[in-house]
Amino acid sequence: MDVSRSIELGVVSAAAAIVGSMLGLGGGVFLVPLFTLFFGVDQKLAIGASAVAVVTNSVVGSSVHLRSRFTNLRLAMLLQVPTASGATVGALIGASAPERFVNALFGAVLTYAAVSMAFQRQAAIAGTEDTPDPWHLGAEYLDPATKQVVHYVPMRVRLGMGVSGVAGVISGMLGVGGGVIQVPAMNLLMRVPVKAAAGTSAFMVGITSVATAFVYYSRDKIDPTVVVPAMIGIFVGSQAGSRLTRRVRAQRLVLLFVLVLLYLGGSLLLKSAGVDIPWQK
Amino acid sequence: MAEVSNSSPSPAPDAPGNRALNLAPVYRSAILVLTRGFRLGAALLALGLAVAAIKGESLKHSAEDFPDVLPAVFDGKASGIVSLAILCLMATPVATVLVVAVGFFRAGDRRFGAFSLVVLCVLTISISLSLFR
Repeated sequence: MDVSRSIELGVVSAAAAIVGSMLGLGGGVFLVPLFTLFFGVDQKLAIGASAVAVVTNSVVGSSVHLRSRFTNLRLAMLLQVPTASGATVGALIGASAPERFVNALFGAVLTYAAVSMAFQRQAAIAGTEDTPDPWHLGAEYLDPATKQVVHYVPMRVRLGMGVSGVAGVISGMLGVGGGVIQVPAMNLLMRVPVKAAAGTSAFMVGITSVATAFVYYSRDKIDPTVVVPAMIGIFVGSQAGSRLTRRVRAQRLVLLFVLVLLYLGGSLLLKSAGVDIPWQK
Repeated sequence: MAEVSNSSPSPAPDAPGNRALNLAPVYRSAILVLTRGFRLGAALLALGLAVAAIKGESLKHSAEDFPDVLPAVFDGKASGIVSLAILCLMATPVATVLVVAVGFFRAGDRRFGAFSLVVLCVLTISISLSLFR
């Protein structure tokens, strides 16, 4: 094992997790482009490492959200049916898909993430406790920021399930958690408060990525010399990121991160078109 | 749809708050499994890296195949222990889904117990496809 390379991969993973947790993205969305573009890691190995790192991050982070009741377990299990199914199909496709196609899809997803972050908006959550709840998905949590109990009932459940299925396929193909699609979908479409959407998504991405990780494991696409630094880096980075988030106004950094996402997304799109960029492998 | 109130969770028989209160054991079980799964995986990973350092054994560039993991662990190979750590972390969310399904059924919530079982089935299919490809 090349120790210096492992340390570099670990540091980059930690940095990705710090940035990801400050922006509520997770860190997986940065791992694959960074590993493939700057370290020359095989794309499939990078996706496998990312999937395992996302599982680790979710296992650690979900406990916090479950304790605070930001996670809606009923909603998570309902949406997880199409998400996990999509992820299994996506992983099977992604494991044998041409590198150019995966690069193009990843580039498009990163560009979407950048645009949605640049025009970040939250759904106005309004309603009453008497709102009809035919799916029995209503829940509540105590918001520590306002010291108020927030009641909510998810809306447009079938549409949410459809979007979750698409998120699952993309997650399976790219080894990302899918939170970049799930959280806005839950908030904007289903009218779930952002904290509940983020908490529910944090729990779901671990289950989604398991489906991906097992497929890649069985295809010898799990390289411990890449996976272990990624796991440790993501764990350390997400812990540091959650502490930093309390001190730094993440909104001020959004523009910088939008530019980074656009750069990575653009690089992958160019690579898919066969254009080489200086400094990249 | 949501509302914000200063009150404590509502005692109304079918209110969201009351349903959430019934699920407290499910949440506790999920937290317990996630915490223990992570601790076990992290401990195995630390052990594997320690064994690699002590024996001067390099990690392989691919994880051990499923049938070879336990024999490699019993042989004291670092690569086997690291592979087991990775599999342990990967299995933790699966175990959590199982515990959540059982918790829903125990709480009398058959509908979401069934949804959880469907998720478990999908994950089982994914794992089976991996094992028997």
